[in-house]
Amino acid sequence: MSNILEFRNVGFAHGARAILENLSFCVKEGETVALIGPNGVGKTTLLRLAAGLLRPACGEIVVRGRELSQWGRKQLSCNVALVPQHLEVPFAFRVDEIVAQGRVPHLGFFGRLSGEDRDAIESAMAAVDIVKMRDRVFAELSGGERQRVKIAIGLAQQPKLMLLDEPTQHLDLGRQIELMSLLRRLVDRGITIVAAVHDLALVRENCSSGILLIPNAPAVAGSVSELLRVELLERAFCVDRPGLDRYLAADGSMGGPDRLRGSESEGNDGQENRERLRPLGEQLASTKRGRYPRHTRHGRHQDKD
Amino acid sequence: MVPAILLILVVVVSAGMGAVKLSFGEVLRALLHPSEAGDAGVILFSLRLPRVLAAGLVGAGLSATGVLFQGLFRNPLADPFVLGASGGAALGGAVAVFLVPALSFAGVGAIELLAFAGSLIAMGIVWNLAKAGGHFAMENMLLAGFAIGTMLNAATAALELRQEATNPGMRILAAWLHGEVTVPSWTQISFVAIVEMAALLFALPLARQLNTLALSEEYAAQLGVRVERLQILVVITGSILTALAVSLGGLIGFVGLLVPHFLRLIFGPDHFRLLPAAALSGAVFLIVADTIARTAFAPSEIPVGMLTAFLGGPAFLYLLNHRQRSSSL
Repeated sequence: MSNILEFRNVGFAHGARAILENLSFCVKEGETVALIGPNGVGKTTLLRLAAGLLRPACGEIVVRGRELSQWGRKQLSCNVALVPQHLEVPFAFRVDEIVAQGRVPHLGFFGRLSGEDRDAIESAMAAVDIVKMRDRVFAELSGGERQRVKIAIGLAQQPKLMLLDEPTQHLDLGRQIELMSLLRRLVDRGITIVAAVHDLALVRENCSSGILLIPNAPAVAGSVSELLRVELLERAFCVDRPGLDRYLAADGSMGGPDRLRGSESEGNDGQENRERLRPLGEQLASTKRGRYPRHTRHGRHQDKD
Repeated sequence: MVPAILLILVVVVSAGMGAVKLSFGEVLRALLHPSEAGDAGVILFSLRLPRVLAAGLVGAGLSATGVLFQGLFRNPLADPFVLGASGGAALGGAVAVFLVPALSFAGVGAIELLAFAGSLIAMGIVWNLAKAGGHFAMENMLLAGFAIGTMLNAATAALELRQEATNPGMRILAAWLHGEVTVPSWTQISFVAIVEMAALLFALPLARQLNTLALSEEYAAQLGVRVERLQILVVITGSILTALAVSLGGLIGFVGLLVPHFLRLIFGPDHFRLLPAAALSGAVFLIVADTIARTAFAPSEIPVGMLTAFLGGPAFLYLLNHRQRSSSL
């Protein structure tokens, strides 16, 4: 499988404050990649960079083999969809009107919807099961319903890569499970997913690999089992070992702290994931300039919150 | 379609109303055969029609700008004067009345000329302040609009205080500041009508993009909208429409706020549909309001801006209450 997204030594700063530094990783087509890290470490920035909304201060971002600056804005929007954390609409737009906005990158100067556009909108609404609520006003929907509408906008773009910023935020357990099952269906439809997710149990159950952003330290990319280790989580989230152990012990789905402590207890899943991801790192290491070490790198952050 | 038919009816009926009443048929006959109209034709073509059309153009411009600015700022409470246009127009009007009353150009009087220039200059200053630092920030624009508008209003007040209380210009300025539609020359009406039509046509594709901007600047950008270019074009178009409106009718409040609100309740929030509907309905609304303003207390007139404020205040409060209840307008 070819790479759909590559970061090559990417750096980004807000004024004098470095958010990301020397970050390299790549994502293969068809993967579900979790973006993990504490608040303020740069997850949203990374997603906005990948969507072309921010320009990196240094390094290169490559989408489907082309550097970002070589993409036209609309052309990129037809390939990459960003589903942001929040969507507040100040006017009483209906759900179908909101989803139709996903077709904007495909429309011509006069902005009229063709039959193909209407089919894409219907198909996007059907995929996330919001056809019945098409006439409802978006501002009156619940958090879970809004999340589905946001994903439908992204689907209407008919992207190859979907970037989701904390899609499970504010969702109850049932809606979280529904959402992750929806994301799996999207992968089945050939869409690659990169999602910033806080819930490590959801990451373990649903993602094939991940990128862990650690404050003031290089980022780590790898299989989920490789990333969800106590030592790494302790550093990334600046939490003491007893506290982390208690959290992991309470979260049965994670397999408890022992399971995450050593590679020997990863089981077959972890091994398989690692095997799936390994070629990414090897490919990076073997690029012409040979400056991309296996699996990662180097997300840095000044803010320790 | 309905607002367009309504607009034609309102123009004909309104043109018949005044000190000399003309029936619907008389007005139609005079419009179709101007050369045979006699006295009715003189009244119609030199007094009534210019005033009625001016009111229509003012209403259309203010309402359309309301739709554009509300979409631009993603705020249903934004009005055409949010960028300081009223302050600039007021100062321009005061300078015209007190300092250069004899100024005129191509049949256009001093107040109209300087109000147009004043509102454009004020919005130009606000725009430059907002994009200081190279980045175009909408919050800065609102704050700069408020600050510049307040400063210019203070300058207007200072200019007024320097005048003798008996200066006849005081009454002229007071009426104009409260929104009084003038009887413009046909040259002025033609100029305003052509520029306004061109601005509205230019704004139509922008209105469609405002629907995408409603999601957020970030969302619009990732959906391929060139957000900063859109914002700049909407500000320029809205500023021109507002400046044209104040040049004909002074400072008329509430029209740009209320008409888009009412239309949203009927047509929904789609800016592409709202823009032409607001232009037509705004014209109808202001022609009706101006007809009441000039006939209800005949032979004296009240400034139409006072009437729209008087009627608009309660309507605005009703809408605000409705919005709080539905929290989704």
